[in-house]
Amino acid sequence: MSFRLDGVGLTHANGFTALADISLCADQGERIALVGPSGAGKTSLLSVLGTALMPTSGRGEVLGQPLQNALPRLLRTRIGTVHQAPPIPGRQRVVTAVLAGKLGQWPTWKSLASLLYPCDLPGARAALERVDLADKLFARCDQLSGGQLQRVGIARVLYQQPTLILADEPVSALDPALALATIRLLVAEAEACGATLVASLHAVDLALGNFTRIVGIKAGRVVFDLPNEQVSLPLLHELYASEGQELPTQATESHLLPEIAAHAAATRAACC
Amino acid sequence: MTLSATRRLALKGALACACAAAFSLPALAADNVLRVSAIPDEAPTELQRKFAPLGKYLEAQTGLKVVFTPVSDYAAVVESLATRKIDLAWLGGFTYVQAKIRTTGTAIPIVQREEDAKFTSRFITADPAIKGLADLKGKTFAFGAPSSTSGSLMPRFFLQQAGLNPEKDFKNVAFSGAHDATVAFVAAGKAEAGVLNASVWDKLVEQKKVDTDKVRVFATTPPYFDYNWTVRGDLDPALVKKLTDAFLKLDPANPEHKEIMALQRASKFIPTRKENYDGIEKAAQSAGLLK
Amino acid sequence: MEARLNDPAARSRLVGTLAALVILWPLLQAAEVKPGALFDAGNLKVIGHFLAGFLPPENSREFLGFLGQATLETLAIATTGLALAFLLAVPLAYLATAAGRERPALNPLTRSLLTLLRGIPELVWALLFVRVFGLGPAAGVLALGLTYGGMLAKVYAEILESVDTRPAQALRQSGARRPLAILYGLLPQAARELTSYTVYRWECAIRASVVMGFVGAGGLGQLMDQAMKMLNGGEAASILLAFMVLVFAADGLSSWLRRALDAPPAAHPSPFGWRSGLVAAALAGSIVASYRFLELGIGDLLSIEAARSMAEFVSGFFPPDLSADWLDRVGQGVWETLAISIVGTLLAALLGLLLALPQPRAPFSFVLNTLRSVPELVWATLTALAVGLGPFAGALALALHTAGVLGRLYAEALANAPAQPSQALRLSGAGPGLAFLYGTLPGAAPQLIAYTLYRWEMNIRMAAILGFVGAGGLGQLLYVALSLFHYAQASTVIIAMLALSIAVDQASAWLRQRMR
Repeated sequence: MSFRLDGVGLTHANGFTALADISLCADQGERIALVGPSGAGKTSLLSVLGTALMPTSGRGEVLGQPLQNALPRLLRTRIGTVHQAPPIPGRQRVVTAVLAGKLGQWPTWKSLASLLYPCDLPGARAALERVDLADKLFARCDQLSGGQLQRVGIARVLYQQPTLILADEPVSALDPALALATIRLLVAEAEACGATLVASLHAVDLALGNFTRIVGIKAGRVVFDLPNEQVSLPLLHELYASEGQELPTQATESHLLPEIAAHAAATRAACC
Repeated sequence: MTLSATRRLALKGALACACAAAFSLPALAADNVLRVSAIPDEAPTELQRKFAPLGKYLEAQTGLKVVFTPVSDYAAVVESLATRKIDLAWLGGFTYVQAKIRTTGTAIPIVQREEDAKFTSRFITADPAIKGLADLKGKTFAFGAPSSTSGSLMPRFFLQQAGLNPEKDFKNVAFSGAHDATVAFVAAGKAEAGVLNASVWDKLVEQKKVDTDKVRVFATTPPYFDYNWTVRGDLDPALVKKLTDAFLKLDPANPEHKEIMALQRASKFIPTRKENYDGIEKAAQSAGLLK
Repeated sequence: MEARLNDPAARSRLVGTLAALVILWPLLQAAEVKPGALFDAGNLKVIGHFLAGFLPPENSREFLGFLGQATLETLAIATTGLALAFLLAVPLAYLATAAGRERPALNPLTRSLLTLLRGIPELVWALLFVRVFGLGPAAGVLALGLTYGGMLAKVYAEILESVDTRPAQALRQSGARRPLAILYGLLPQAARELTSYTVYRWECAIRASVVMGFVGAGGLGQLMDQAMKMLNGGEAASILLAFMVLVFAADGLSSWLRRALDAPPAAHPSPFGWRSGLVAAALAGSIVASYRFLELGIGDLLSIEAARSMAEFVSGFFPPDLSADWLDRVGQGVWETLAISIVGTLLAALLGLLLALPQPRAPFSFVLNTLRSVPELVWATLTALAVGLGPFAGALALALHTAGVLGRLYAEALANAPAQPSQALRLSGAGPGLAFLYGTLPGAAPQLIAYTLYRWEMNIRMAAILGFVGAGGLGQLLYVALSLFHYAQASTVIIAMLALSIAVDQASAWLRQRMR
């Protein structure tokens, strides 16, 4: 059991209901894609799972901890988040940005000392090797491209070694080829370390091509929660009804969607 | 409070004078105003208070409207005299020498108090270890304004004669800006010793404004010529004569005059002349204060 | 695999740190830093006694009325001075800035004029003008106008250069002339910063006009000078309170104006609503009122007579005294002034950062505002009591005032820094302190360093005049030289001040470049 939400609702202070009656649970090691139109509540759901926001109703449990106020800080060190825009200061060096993944686990003196001299160079390098950026170890983050920076963000999460990885629209700012590569990397790495992966994706083709379980969210509620194979086009069209006729995809031609799904499944099989 | 009231007066006077100075062209005294100022060797408000009755008296004697401008900078008085923005000024001996040089010898000292002819400065301290000038080595020391005669120039001259160079031998030299400020500096321990005009010291002691158990005099300079009233050189000679006579006529036996003289701390006004200040000029030259 | 990994930056960091220490040590010596003096029992007693005298503040009705008058005068000097500065700054900034030019070209002539205007501290201008134009507020207004004109122009030019240049380039390529390209392409982006800097400068002008009272330019400063010199705590307290009220009010006005600038435009064709009209009217009204209140008669200052006396006065400054003896003393003064400015600024950066961090902000903002609203010269009177006369008192005074300024700027910069990096670190379990060090500080550091360096440029000017109250350095040399009419010597000191501030500007620009 990785997490379980039981009738969780989230109402903001201004009265806006972001989530309503969400029930969802996941086993350790599952790979789940959250899909749905903009404003459906995907980010709110991830925030609840990441303990950034407390549910205002219902009950939940993440990594064995019931969701309530005063959660132990240690819980958060086991949750890694990949953000839409990599949350890394431009002037920081890649090595520092990656090492920052373990700030919650290191004693304070070590974190402070690491500002003067990076204290786990091999570890940072290993994490960067996995995202194919080992040569950028000592580069400054503002010298990297958007895709590289997103991979540094992933390397930081890998270095953190979490058991639950949350990804909030991790590729929405990247071009299609890069987006696909990045999602594959994320999925492969989660698989390699046995972490649960929950990613919100705006593009349904990426979701269908890379994730085993798809959760459709609309207006703060779960519309469907199905294995990849059982997600049908009408279901998707209904989910995205508010955004018009076309389904949002990374590829330019959406009528290829079923093909893409099949193709992506094949390539995934090939690359693993 | 009378002090505050005079302060307000001071400001009004400053404002009035500032705009008068700005609006009028150099040919002054033509509009029946006599512009007077004084070096700020004491708090300007105090000078204002001291001057008020004398100003009235001069108004009566000359038939001119007398306007007093308080300033907070010695050099400004000299500059104003040189640029003919004031007609009559109360100057220190050294300030007079500076004014003489700035006005290429035209400024005329007319009168001075009897006590100005044999003036002295007092060295004060609150430190029991200081017993004479020689003990000042390595101490912090406060002069008054840099161009003050009795608070800076003459003490410096006599210190040099005693073999002390303030810049080299003192740990730190400060300029308090005014004689009463020097006393405040020394009393508060801001400076370990200081020097000021004997007349102001006596006044502060008389008025019990200084704690003599704590601050004491440990040396006094030999006498020298100090303060005088100076007019700018191109003032109407008839007016100069009137002013001189007005000062000389002051008589302590006359109760009205007595108040004026008490405030000026004068027992009697006597005529003075340029030559009286040659000694100061030499002292200033040897102290390196004149170029 | 290759051999042990080494951080390639470690060596240069070590060398940099050592170099900084090697430079800092003699500076600390020159500034006579001795923290022990702060806790000396005798000094504590003296300052405690003086501060105890602050209570109760002088509150007789006459004094208060007088205080009100002086406050108005200060306000009027600051407002008129800044209006004059603005009039000077707009054309100068237009000439000096590279913004809106198709090929970036710097105008060396204007730039050096700006350096000259800014390089000589306002207090020195005031001292000079008092001599030329006589006593009263005119000298203060002119001094403020010139110095602040130079500062505003420089900063305006830099702000215009720092915003995104593409809109203006696009306009120019479609045929717009430079003024219009700036108006339509750059001004909308820069307006907020330009306004808030101008309002900030107005606050500074209020403080500066207080300082100029110390040399006879009227207003609160003259009162303050007396009260501080005579160690009259009650009056000093009242004046300081009046002064803080002024600064706080200016602060409130400034933030109100900034908020107003952020408000979305109204749904009518003219971009100017009733509020803009009101502000413009109030602005114009206050400038005119200030001008009339001071009864300046600027026209007379521009007369031939004034020009002649000015020329005569200025000619006395040439040639400067370059005798070895005097140069030696000026050299010492330069070194001491430099030390005061650097030590003061570093202490201020440290204290400012400490005060900028804690949440909730309210009490700390109050402390910062208090530190900031007391001018350096007044702090110097207090610190001289605390540690005795000398450069350390000057450095401390500088540090206390600057900490208020920097702390406020730091707090703003940190509040404006992107929040995600540190939030992300909090989400992965980092504590708030480490999340700040790893997430917020790297992003905000360039801004913080830039603020600190800018402030150092201002502090070198202030350090140069702190000598007026006995803190050593160039100020004391200048004060004495001017008092004694040694204009040739004064001229050397002014040139040294100018050279020093230019050198510091260059050093600061170089450092800012390096930190990028």
